[in-house]
Amino acid sequence: MTFFMDAGESFKIALGAIVANKSRGALTALGIIIGIVAVITTMTAANGLKNTFRETFASVGADVVYVSKRPWVQMGRGFQFRNRKDISLAASDKLQERLLGRGVVNPSISGNQSLKYRSKVLDGITITGTTDKQIIVSDMVPESGRFLTPFDVAYKKTVTVIGSGIAESLFEQTNPIGKEIKVGRYKFTVIGVMEEQGGSFFGGPDFDRQIYIPITTFGKTIGFNGGRANVNIAIKAPSAEAMSTFEYEVIGEMRKIRGLKPTEDDDFSINKLDTLLDSYNSMMGVVVLVGLVITGISLFVGGVGVMNIMFVSVTERTKEIGIRKAIGAKRRSILLQFLFESSTICLFAGIIGLIIAQILTEIINKLLMPASISPFIIVVALVVSVMVGVLSGFVPAYRGAKLNPIDALRYE
Amino acid sequence: MSSDDLATVPLADGVILSIENVTRTYVMGDEEVHALKGVSITINKGEYVAIMGPSGSGKSTLMNMIGCLDVPSTGEYILENQAVSAMSEDQLAEIRNEKIGFVFQTFNLVPRVTVYQNIELPLIYKGVAKRHRRKIVEKAIEAVGLGERAKHKSNELSGGQRQRVAIARALVCEPAIILADEPTGNLDSSTGKEIMALMDGLHKKGHTIILVTHEDDIAEHANRTIRLRDGLLESSG
Repeated sequence: MTFFMDAGESFKIALGAIVANKSRGALTALGIIIGIVAVITTMTAANGLKNTFRETFASVGADVVYVSKRPWVQMGRGFQFRNRKDISLAASDKLQERLLGRGVVNPSISGNQSLKYRSKVLDGITITGTTDKQIIVSDMVPESGRFLTPFDVAYKKTVTVIGSGIAESLFEQTNPIGKEIKVGRYKFTVIGVMEEQGGSFFGGPDFDRQIYIPITTFGKTIGFNGGRANVNIAIKAPSAEAMSTFEYEVIGEMRKIRGLKPTEDDDFSINKLDTLLDSYNSMMGVVVLVGLVITGISLFVGGVGVMNIMFVSVTERTKEIGIRKAIGAKRRSILLQFLFESSTICLFAGIIGLIIAQILTEIINKLLMPASISPFIIVVALVVSVMVGVLSGFVPAYRGAKLNPIDALRYE
Repeated sequence: MSSDDLATVPLADGVILSIENVTRTYVMGDEEVHALKGVSITINKGEYVAIMGPSGSGKSTLMNMIGCLDVPSTGEYILENQAVSAMSEDQLAEIRNEKIGFVFQTFNLVPRVTVYQNIELPLIYKGVAKRHRRKIVEKAIEAVGLGERAKHKSNELSGGQRQRVAIARALVCEPAIILADEPTGNLDSSTGKEIMALMDGLHKKGHTIILVTHEDDIAEHANRTIRLRDGLLESSG
């Protein structure tokens, strides 16, 4: 008897048995369905988080180095960072000078203030004081109107470029360009609206709900924390390839500006997208691992359920096994019959689990973040389902296969 | 492993099975039960034999042995030139599939599946291709007079019809012997007669039939009666 023929017939027999015991099959499948849904949704959510993260920081170019007082990702307590000297606007100018035109230097500073247009008020909006170079270092462009110009910055013009979210909230259908809004107590003229950035990572910046003003007006209108400017300096490298050497060049020049001795540590931090991604990946790696372990346990419990039912199924059909053996079924045929039964139940469960997970994913997609089930996850889910079926079905199937035909025939 | 690989032991012309000085001992707890204590039987091709004996006589053990469901503790059992005594479990399954047609007292049909599927089952285990199976099964269904019941489930049939299905199932692999264990035991007398008539007809067509029974009027259908008592042969016709 060839294996494939054996397999085909065993599969049919198994299908018949499942159809004959629909409610039991469904209950058995339930454990696996829950397990598969949990595992897939975890993986999908993790992917969604990653996508959101990427989208949020898409404007943080990979070829941009940031010089700031504090590191973006702070390990331990921050005393040593808090006591550092602030980074002044002058330092930014000096850096620009020393880099001799290589790289684009843009200082910026952020604070919160309320916005008002006619009767509409938005509280706690991020106000970013920056220069005309902002759109070079951040890859964001205005959708309508224009961005800040060197002229605006040099002459402290009270003009602002607003995020698309702000434009929608304050102006709805009307064209914001040329309108005056109040930033705190000061009137600013809207000269441009940024294009929509979309997607905001939990707790991360929402670039659509910001406004940009000339950094030279920031001190007077928003005010510095503690009275002194502490800016972030973004420096775009001449090319992405030159990024690593350029980073050291920036560090070297900053140390000279700060007058540090060779033995002294840097009193500023270098930030870039890579550090952010690294720390994000290591954090998410742990979260996803924990998630998979927990959801994996539910899948394991589902597998134990399948094993349990298969033991019942084998015991219940002891006589049938005896009959089959009497008319010529070998141990392998019986083994395959029950293995097919358990793995078919689990495969169906996997498919149903996938469908439910797809529905959940669409809900997540609508409400939380961009998420989707990749073909890879589909394949993994189906393979895992069948494997759970085979593994949990094996012991019961083996027990059935090695039954003595005489005893099995006598069983009532 | 296929049965072709097994050691062949030539039997005399016309002999289909030979049992030589066979014993079967079971261990039940601390006790040894000697179910067969040295039995020798020879059955010829085309014979119609009844095996009789009271309960505890070793009748069932002998039937299990002849049906290749069990192997002797000592002694030789040769079925169509093949030494059954030394076979592995899977080889026994193969031998049962090809050479034995079982008819049981309790019919022993596979539940939940149709008459057709029940009769087809031995052919599936034998590895007969689907297109060949159909013809064989249909012929067997006709032979036992169940033509219009092929699509019925076994639990929708009467006892007599179930036994007909069992007989059809026993026939499809063209076995060397048909081994019937109390085939009328669960049937009323008129249905029993029909089934025995069917068995007689099979004998006339040349089948070798071994009938295990404790009823004399059933045993009378056979040409020869083998009687067992206390694990020994009392008479062998």
